[in-house]
Amino acid sequence: MSATSTMLPEYVILGTLLIAMLGIMVSRAHSTLPSWIGLLGTIGGLWATADLWSRHLKPVLLFNQSLSVDNYSLFVDFLVMIAAGSTILLGWQGEREHDEFPVLVLLSALGMMTLGMSANLITLFLGVEILSLPLYILAASHRDPLGGEAGLKYFLLGAFSSGILLFGLALIYGATGSMTFTDFATAVSSNSPILAAGLMLALVGILFKLAIVPFHMWVPDVYEGSPDAVTSFMAFGTKVGAAVILLRFLAYGFYLSPDAWGPLLGYLALLTMIVGNLVALTQTNLKRLFGYSGIGHAGFLLIGVAVHSVVGARAMLFYLLPYGLAVIGAFAIITMISNGEKNVTIHDLEGLAHKKPWAAALFIVFMLSFAGIPLTGGFIGKFYLLQAALFAHQPGLAVGLVVGTFLGLGAYLRPLQAMFRHESNEQALAGWNVNWAQIVVLVVAVVGTIGLGVYPTPVVHMVNQSANFFWLH
Amino acid sequence: MVGIGILAVLAIAGAIGVITARQPVHSALYLVGNLLALALLYLDLQAEFLAVAQVIVYAGAIMVLFLFVVTLLTAGKEDREPPEDLAGQRAWAGIVSIIVGIVLVALAIKYPGAELKVALPANFGNLQGIGRLLWGPDFIYLVGIAIMLLSAALGVLVLNPPKRERQIERQLAAAARAREAAAGGGAVPKAESTNGKEGQGA
Repeated sequence: MSATSTMLPEYVILGTLLIAMLGIMVSRAHSTLPSWIGLLGTIGGLWATADLWSRHLKPVLLFNQSLSVDNYSLFVDFLVMIAAGSTILLGWQGEREHDEFPVLVLLSALGMMTLGMSANLITLFLGVEILSLPLYILAASHRDPLGGEAGLKYFLLGAFSSGILLFGLALIYGATGSMTFTDFATAVSSNSPILAAGLMLALVGILFKLAIVPFHMWVPDVYEGSPDAVTSFMAFGTKVGAAVILLRFLAYGFYLSPDAWGPLLGYLALLTMIVGNLVALTQTNLKRLFGYSGIGHAGFLLIGVAVHSVVGARAMLFYLLPYGLAVIGAFAIITMISNGEKNVTIHDLEGLAHKKPWAAALFIVFMLSFAGIPLTGGFIGKFYLLQAALFAHQPGLAVGLVVGTFLGLGAYLRPLQAMFRHESNEQALAGWNVNWAQIVVLVVAVVGTIGLGVYPTPVVHMVNQSANFFWLH
Repeated sequence: MVGIGILAVLAIAGAIGVITARQPVHSALYLVGNLLALALLYLDLQAEFLAVAQVIVYAGAIMVLFLFVVTLLTAGKEDREPPEDLAGQRAWAGIVSIIVGIVLVALAIKYPGAELKVALPANFGNLQGIGRLLWGPDFIYLVGIAIMLLSAALGVLVLNPPKRERQIERQLAAAARAREAAAGGGAVPKAESTNGKEGQGA
């Protein structure tokens, strides 16, 4: 099959963002036309992904082995479309977000899709940069002091980590003489120290994007300062992009030497799960809380990579979906409370259960999914990760996962407790505002979260088809 | 090999100068040195076109841009740094980065790369060769970079929005005031000066 038909989702998104730019040009300021174009584009992208999926493609390498389209990349496309579509919906009102908002979201989504397909070093780096640049802009787009701080911090640290990543990639290329992932393991110098140094530096760059613990310092400030919709996109989309490229990079390029990187990633996963969830316990600002809990979830995801098995890859890929659905659902409720004005703290939730019982009920569902309570998608995801850790004979990782989950449960119960408190302050829920776009996101998120918890079989089946590339080599 | 070493030392010295110089203009000049050393390294790798492009684009055009920005932004500004909030962090960062640097240098000395014994393809490194690569097998990377630059252009629009409407309103109001003043036979010059200031602000 030709590149045109196998890369249809990417072409649809690229075309959509160009048309959306034209839409900005012809429409008056603050119109919803660009958002409509972006939303239709993501739906078109979803349709194209589903169509390609239903054709049962064999994996194809395109453009001189730089991009690989297979079920893995299609599943990533599927996740990215959900992230991008929900972000456009959450930032719907033109007065709140600037006109270019949907275009930048789609650009970043294109980078994430590139990371899903990437099969060589150049597309890896280009994907990371196409993902990051629009996010730097989006983080600072509200032009208030907190937003400026968020944008500048994210930009400086992101550029620095990109430099480290690039240095690592250059060393890998220097040691192996090849850009293609699959050549690294079979290269003559496959156990040279230069290659190992390159791998370590490249891992630092990717783990920064995934916010694994020694490289997580930027997360809370950036999440706090960014607009709500952008924060939800960072929490879902960036993690998808970074996690999938990490998995493919290691599984394609370094599958012969898992002993060199597996234990390291395992210890980092352990550290991340504990630290992220522990610090989340003390947060009162909801966006910071989700920032730290997102760090903890990144640790959970890293288990799937560290165990280096098909079970682990499947568990990681599956976990991305319930995590992302809970993120977009929780952020839909945050945007309803904050109305784009202020940062929501736990005190703003007081009385929510009495004044808006439906929103409170949905919020409980998302929190329970984050915490991994049965009948939600989060439970199934954690169950698979636990299985992966045990199958790999890593009881330490399994214990860390359970401890991290309990710590996280404590962190998620604090906002729930505040919701049921009676002595609500007068200011709480003053800016409550609901529009249809947030309702759509909420419905998708809650149906997905409970659906994955009750009947996960279809998605498990999809994931099993996606993460089977370990046998290719 | 010796040449590469000298150029590497020059490039690193330039890079260190960029971040340690107190005056922004000195930083910019150190950057020129760094970029020129890089260009010579490219030349040593037989990438002639890249070397020339590096000199023209970076050392030429972009440096001029930098100098303009430096003169516009820092004219008459204090060049001392604000007091450090996080004492100790800088020292630790320095220690860690020096250790990492020593490890990398030791690795590079202990395990030097083998000399490449293959013949270079025809037109390697000149304009024709690079053009054929960029518009042939590597076209997808060119597209990726184009998309990346598109987001940079959008960033300028988002972070620096044209305040056209408000400005036009203000100018119209000023003009109306000027007309009123003219009808009353009063302060015409004052209104004009307001106009002039806004023109500069734009």
